[in-house]
Amino acid sequence: MIDLRNLSRRGFLNMGAAAGASLLLPKSGLVTPARAQTPLAAVAEEDAVIAFGHTGPVTDEGWTWSHDQGMKAVQAAFPKLKTLFVESIPYSADATRTFRQFISEGANMVFATSNYGDFLYDVAKRSPDVAFFECDGRSPLDNLGTYYVAHWYPSYVTGVAAGLMSKSGKLGYVASFPVPSVYSGTNAFLMGARSVNPNATLQTIVINSWFDPQAATQAGTALIDNGADLLFGIMDEAGYLQVAEQRGAKAVMWNTDIRRYGPKAYVSSIIVDFKEFYVNQVRQRLEGKWVPSGNILPMTGGVDRDAWGESVPEEVRKQADAARDKILGGWSPFAGEIKDAKGAVRVAAGQTMTEEELYNWDWSIEGVSGL
Amino acid sequence: MDLIAGLLQTSILAGGVLALAALGEVLAERVGVVNLGVEGLMALGAITGIATVVAVPSPTLGFLLALLVGLLFGMIFATATVHVRANQILCGLALTLIGTGLAATIGKAYSGMPAPATFAPIAIPILSDIPLVGRALFTQNILVYLIYIVLPFALHHLMFRTRHGLDLRAVGENPAAADAAGIPVQKIRFWYVSAGAALAAGSGAYLTLAFVPSWSEGVVAGRGWIAVSLVIFAGYRPLNAVLAALLFGLITSLGFVGQARNWPIAAPFLSMLPYLGTIALIIVPVLAWHKVRRLMAAPAALGEPYYRDVR
Repeated sequence: MIDLRNLSRRGFLNMGAAAGASLLLPKSGLVTPARAQTPLAAVAEEDAVIAFGHTGPVTDEGWTWSHDQGMKAVQAAFPKLKTLFVESIPYSADATRTFRQFISEGANMVFATSNYGDFLYDVAKRSPDVAFFECDGRSPLDNLGTYYVAHWYPSYVTGVAAGLMSKSGKLGYVASFPVPSVYSGTNAFLMGARSVNPNATLQTIVINSWFDPQAATQAGTALIDNGADLLFGIMDEAGYLQVAEQRGAKAVMWNTDIRRYGPKAYVSSIIVDFKEFYVNQVRQRLEGKWVPSGNILPMTGGVDRDAWGESVPEEVRKQADAARDKILGGWSPFAGEIKDAKGAVRVAAGQTMTEEELYNWDWSIEGVSGL
Repeated sequence: MDLIAGLLQTSILAGGVLALAALGEVLAERVGVVNLGVEGLMALGAITGIATVVAVPSPTLGFLLALLVGLLFGMIFATATVHVRANQILCGLALTLIGTGLAATIGKAYSGMPAPATFAPIAIPILSDIPLVGRALFTQNILVYLIYIVLPFALHHLMFRTRHGLDLRAVGENPAAADAAGIPVQKIRFWYVSAGAALAAGSGAYLTLAFVPSWSEGVVAGRGWIAVSLVIFAGYRPLNAVLAALLFGLITSLGFVGQARNWPIAAPFLSMLPYLGTIALIIVPVLAWHKVRRLMAAPAALGEPYYRDVR
């Protein structure tokens, strides 16, 4: 339905339609395999071609870089196969052209590292013997699977640290678009903070981009001017970390370890890691065992908090990591009673949100403003 | 009170990009040449700045090299428009396309990489302790002082208080008369257009070395075009151009502050502010400057190549 990292206007408009569709089909094959079917035929390693279609440049030190590391892991695991990749694919008919190009170059497996929707499905439907994967996708096909990360758990863990470290109890969030990734990130972060400081609040600024250093810098400055002393966000660059460093505030980041751009301000980061997932999927494809599946990579299996920053006190680390251990032990922090920003109870006491509900979260909890 | 200080601080920082580019455009247009290549020059300056500090961690060197790159491309543009007398609009658009394309290609290796060295804010003693505005006005990086104080006053003095300034304005108003008076029209045009291009590239370097310390494709994001429209709004005057840029920076910052303070205005409307501001900047001169239109008018020979033999 909605892409995590890059959202075209078209995709944004389609969001409403897709949300409607997912109401009609509550189990749209997100976590469960798409359809039971026979696997695609095996491919010899030296004949195999694995293609990656990226939304940004592989040098972004963020989302696309992480996927590129996954591709390098595939190369290391299967040195004889051939890999292809194209960067910065626009959300337009050019995407279809790029994916077709992969097929004509003999690709057996195509990973779209962002949500290309129909631009990808058109190609997938015409190439039934090629395996496709769409990141943050929600429409599985007979030869197309989906994958994403359960980032709400590390967001909760870093939220605990944020609640302990923020003196004002006012947290700031630099948001891209009002999409589920942002809702689940802000909500989980504030729930973590409120578990240790019930008065904590979170203010968001929407900048309408996944990558706009100018806007992120200004948004971070405005949040700090407004009293926030700890920033979180979902950006592909270090803009608001650098603001926090200059202004003596703290920041939690996304994607990769970028502490060197603000060592004093750096608390942690939501780190993503697709290496294991890519290698496993490629192995299944080569061995003739691949069937499309829906995957949400769990904490420690594709997403986690980064090593704590130098300014995080020992006591804070301990308390946040205790929450992390509890989650890894099977506990879910996303249990009722949860109220939305208007005060209505959305999750009743005794209920726990499912992974699918977390993945599709589209309302703010009490204490989050600006979305 | 923090609101005003914060607002002023970001407005000054954000407006600096536009101010420097607009000053460059004032130079070119005052001698009668429209340079629509500002957007491309800014992109070139931005990447030059980042590439330099990645190699040598000196922001000053990065800024100077960006000026130099701008000067070089400005000389190419000036050769085409002043000496060859090609169409200025087309040459400007070509320069924008070349500049953004070239910068994107070179920039691939630097994409998303934060600048290892940037212009740090310098607090001016005593002045920076003034309550309310002290921090915003007197704790800025050195380029801000250059852009807001040194350059505009120097250019204003040059243009309106010196004999040479009279010459250069004459070249933009009536090149034939200037030529008859013995003013070297082509030479003045060539060098002022090139110098203006250097300032435009400098504003790109300001963007990546002081404002958002990283390069990404599209980092200039249309600010070159906004700078061109600011020049018209400012009536082709350096001091006005800087004030207009500051106003524009303020409009942009308001959008963010509004969201941070939960003003009851939808976020999309706040994000629209810069664009609404641009439209206002184009309309206001037509209505408000009506009475002073002679003062705020474009140089008479703007956009016209000068041929000595057909005067």
